[in-house]
Amino acid sequence: MKADSHPEGQLGVPAAVLHGRLLHVSRMATIGEMAAGVAHELNQPLTAIANYAQACRRLLARPDADPTELQQALAEITTQAARAAEIIRRLRDLARSQQSERATTDINALVQEMIELVESDARLHGVHVSLELTDELPGVLVDAGQIQHVILSFVRNSLEALASQPGGGHLSIRTSQPSAAEVEVAVIDNGPGLAAEAMARLFDPFFSTKASGAGMGLAISHTIARTHGGSVGYRPNQPSGACFYILLPAPPAT
Amino acid sequence: MQDPATTIYVVDDDEGVRNSVRFLLKSVGLTARTFASAREFLDGYQPRQPGCVVLDVRMPGMSGLELQEQLNLRGAVIPVIFITGHGDIPMAVDAMQHGAFDFLQKPFRDQDLIDRIQRALDRDAKNRAALAQHDRIRGRFESLTPREREVLTLMTRGKPNKVMAAELGVSQRTVEIHRARVMEKTGAASLAQLVRMVLDLESQDTVP
Repeated sequence: MKADSHPEGQLGVPAAVLHGRLLHVSRMATIGEMAAGVAHELNQPLTAIANYAQACRRLLARPDADPTELQQALAEITTQAARAAEIIRRLRDLARSQQSERATTDINALVQEMIELVESDARLHGVHVSLELTDELPGVLVDAGQIQHVILSFVRNSLEALASQPGGGHLSIRTSQPSAAEVEVAVIDNGPGLAAEAMARLFDPFFSTKASGAGMGLAISHTIARTHGGSVGYRPNQPSGACFYILLPAPPAT
Repeated sequence: MQDPATTIYVVDDDEGVRNSVRFLLKSVGLTARTFASAREFLDGYQPRQPGCVVLDVRMPGMSGLELQEQLNLRGAVIPVIFITGHGDIPMAVDAMQHGAFDFLQKPFRDQDLIDRIQRALDRDAKNRAALAQHDRIRGRFESLTPREREVLTLMTRGKPNKVMAAELGVSQRTVEIHRARVMEKTGAASLAQLVRMVLDLESQDTVP
């Protein structure tokens, strides 16, 4: 560790860069949770516009239609349309900061880069973390921030599942190459695991087993994996607990 | 014919939406009052005025469902139409189970809202008529003397005058007089109608 004012994380990634990426990751999470909220928010001006427009049609059908009244409704329609446009502009600005940047990445390095964050999160939950990294995995072409987001949402899920675990929870991040064409990152815990009905709907948007959950975390992970040509999944861990994994395509060996 | 005091209470935390609903209702000749929160509505609502409530299910502070519960607790009979966001079906089902009159998803067709409001107003009018009728009948039964009430109880059990006279320790002639007074005061045209009135009163009075 250098003793200068720019401490570096592992693998020589400056802490400031790592911090930027984590910000990016947390913003991704916010977007997902926002999706439901944005739909609701946009629905309000649209409802108002529809109401004014329909009322205008009714008023115009009358012989004694009052132009002042119609003008008032049209002004309201303009205001509400501007409000809808503003919501969309904010969303677009947010999306613009999320441009995907893919590079050939060592998946072990990517995991190690985020381990500090995972550990500090786990410590808060009284959970022990270990790494099981398989050496000499092929590089994968990914947006590191997005893949870290997926792993983090798996970790957060596990930490929440382990919250009520007697005798302390254990969480492990494992990398492997299940087949020549795939690299896998799995987050494994010794928690209660998942009920069968939750398993089937796990990656659906808006599905959540938590009363407070918006249910978007895993659905976003699913989308990210798909845009990378991979997949996310769940399998029960043996002898107990949960295992969430992301599979990423490995480039063919040259 | 609509009571001119009929009021549609529009409760929505979104100013744009609630003003647009008021405008829409005005275009079909309905009077609306708008409220920005459930609390504001509870403070400003006149239970004696006929009408119905158009309520956004999602609001900060007291939610639409909590407001419906408050109305239930207060014994309010005013019908509530819930407006839900798109895809809020579970919430709509919940609302119906809490005694909502109907629900509608945002954004909605004007005719759908107006039709529902019309049905809600019809229901409100029926509720009010039934309550008024109930109060009138209850008033008549309350005017019975203790002795007449005893006779009423025996009559509804189908006891003949002779048995009543024996049970009450009075003459059959006296029983006949009490009987006639009961029929006259309650306005019942027959024993069957009298029994029905008593059953109606009992059933409505046990409603929580």
